[in-house]
Amino acid sequence: MIDVKPAPRNVIAAKVPLDQRKTMIEFQDVHKYYGDYHALRGITATIREGEFFSLLGPSGCGKTTLLRTIAGFEGISSGAVLIDGNSMENVPANKRPTNMVFQSYAIFPHLTVAQNVGFGLRRDPRSKAEKDKLVEESLEMVGLKGYGARAAHALSGGQRQRVALARALILKPKVLLLDEPLSALDKKIREQMQVELIKLQREVGITFVLVTHDQEEALVMSDRIAVMFEGEIAQLADPETLYRRPNSRRVADFIGVMNFLPARVLGEGNGHIQLDVPGLGPLDVTEEQASAAPNGGEAAVGFRPETLTLLYDGQTPLDREAPGTIDEVVYYGDMTYYDVKLDGVEKPVRISMRNVFGRPVLDVGTRTRVAWSPGALVLFR
Amino acid sequence: MKLPSLRIYALAYLLFLYAPILLLPIFAFNDGTIIAFPLKGFTLEWFGQMFANDTLRRAVGNSLIIAGSTAVFATVLGIFAARAGSRFRFPGKGPIMGLIMLPLVLPEIMVGGSLLLVLLSVGIELSVFTVILGHVLIATPYTIAILNTAFSSLDVSLEEAAYDLGEGKWSTFRLITLPLVLPGIISSMLIAFTISLDEFIIAFFLAGNEPTLPTYIFSQLRFPKQIPMIMALGTCLVALSIILLTIAEYFRRRGIAKTGGKDTGGFL
Repeated sequence: MIDVKPAPRNVIAAKVPLDQRKTMIEFQDVHKYYGDYHALRGITATIREGEFFSLLGPSGCGKTTLLRTIAGFEGISSGAVLIDGNSMENVPANKRPTNMVFQSYAIFPHLTVAQNVGFGLRRDPRSKAEKDKLVEESLEMVGLKGYGARAAHALSGGQRQRVALARALILKPKVLLLDEPLSALDKKIREQMQVELIKLQREVGITFVLVTHDQEEALVMSDRIAVMFEGEIAQLADPETLYRRPNSRRVADFIGVMNFLPARVLGEGNGHIQLDVPGLGPLDVTEEQASAAPNGGEAAVGFRPETLTLLYDGQTPLDREAPGTIDEVVYYGDMTYYDVKLDGVEKPVRISMRNVFGRPVLDVGTRTRVAWSPGALVLFR
Repeated sequence: MKLPSLRIYALAYLLFLYAPILLLPIFAFNDGTIIAFPLKGFTLEWFGQMFANDTLRRAVGNSLIIAGSTAVFATVLGIFAARAGSRFRFPGKGPIMGLIMLPLVLPEIMVGGSLLLVLLSVGIELSVFTVILGHVLIATPYTIAILNTAFSSLDVSLEEAAYDLGEGKWSTFRLITLPLVLPGIISSMLIAFTISLDEFIIAFFLAGNEPTLPTYIFSQLRFPKQIPMIMALGTCLVALSIILLTIAEYFRRRGIAKTGGKDTGGFL
């Protein structure tokens, strides 16, 4: 729906590597208290120019509070927030180079679509004709060409979302803040809007900071993701690192599905760690596979469902295999999830298999072999 | 409504409630000084008498001044209280809001009596102004109740969005908040006006020598000859009250529809 114009205004995105771009937002040890409640506990992070950055976490983790400290709707108790090198201390929300898309969209119900989109231009010295043209361009950018005269309160959820985007982007802010912008939409429109938002962000080249509790949404859209728990950033990484090398069991659990099996550390040296894992047997992992955050002294290995494969008769594993029995089968059309009890382990592990034409879906109770590889494991200890 | 006894009960209830009011216009147009059936004939004499009466005109003038001022002051106070109550959290909010709403249930005769004592001991002369004070006191809880609905059905993000888009605190209020709560404000003023217009006890205590409509009507009930004129006056007042309440309710509902909120109750 969104036209990607041949000559974008600002093509920072995808041209200059992320770590070579200038810093757009900087949090320096930000703390926030509400009375006795410690909402933000020492946030230190930088967001680069033109980055699509997500704050991901369960409700109450402080992600929305952190977003609102960028917008200026929340003050901070200590530390500093810098935008484009300037301290935002004492800069009120209406003077900051940021604009926001609210969770409820906050479309002014008594105004038309065009009046909504052009609201931020009220203090702009340009002529009315120029402003009207800008409004029309903005509406076109979000796929709402010709909707200007409509009453705002008569729009659908998806259309409100687009109006909110156009209204925030018309001022060409340095940073666009999005507070759970897709959570009110149904699944199909949400997925469509995810793709549109990515395209839009690449086109305008503005830094986007998105707050979401939906890990899939964060993985799909972001350049980098900060996972937050209880007012702290637990891990800040690109989506692939976050998914493949979660630095704590908690992050691993929050992002996607991960199987955990208890492990015993036999020894370590030369960058390798020797483990014994019931169900899988003795194995070797590299130190890079060990997560940084301590796991309370109890060692466990984690692995994603898609790193395991059920072996059919006659197939040989690429690496290693372990015997087991199918405990549960969940058929999803394109995928089938199998819960398999590995021999000697009570708790089943989840395996996801892409359904291929000609390969039967196996039944509960079938004896099977599971192919796995030590390289795909993450060690928590 | 399947049982006939329930239907009869409902009919009797409505009859009891509205039959006396129906008598007002009937006798207001009846050509006779005695309030009794059978009716004698149609006349507009009592309405003519009503408009020619100087004291009555003065009472109407006073009442309009009092009701108008009460509507404005009670609504302004209501805006402050409703906004504070629906937007901010502060220590002691519950008890404070409770105390503000208390005049709703206090016996008016006590409020009137104690106000009279205070005003006299402070040395303020009784006048139209003192009645306004008393009426603002009893009308404010109603305006707060109405304005609370208007303010709390207003999404906070709307104000934040306007602020985020570069407006200041005052222009945000003028461009966003005010247009969206305006129906609530109008409806609140109309309710306060109506409450003040037919309030008797406080006006009786605090008006001094100034007549207001209700105190004038009360004083005239002693003279049988005046009763048909009072009937005419009552007819006008009932009509005015119904019109005002209807307008108030219309604006309240329109306000809720405008902000996309849910109707959580009202007067009609």
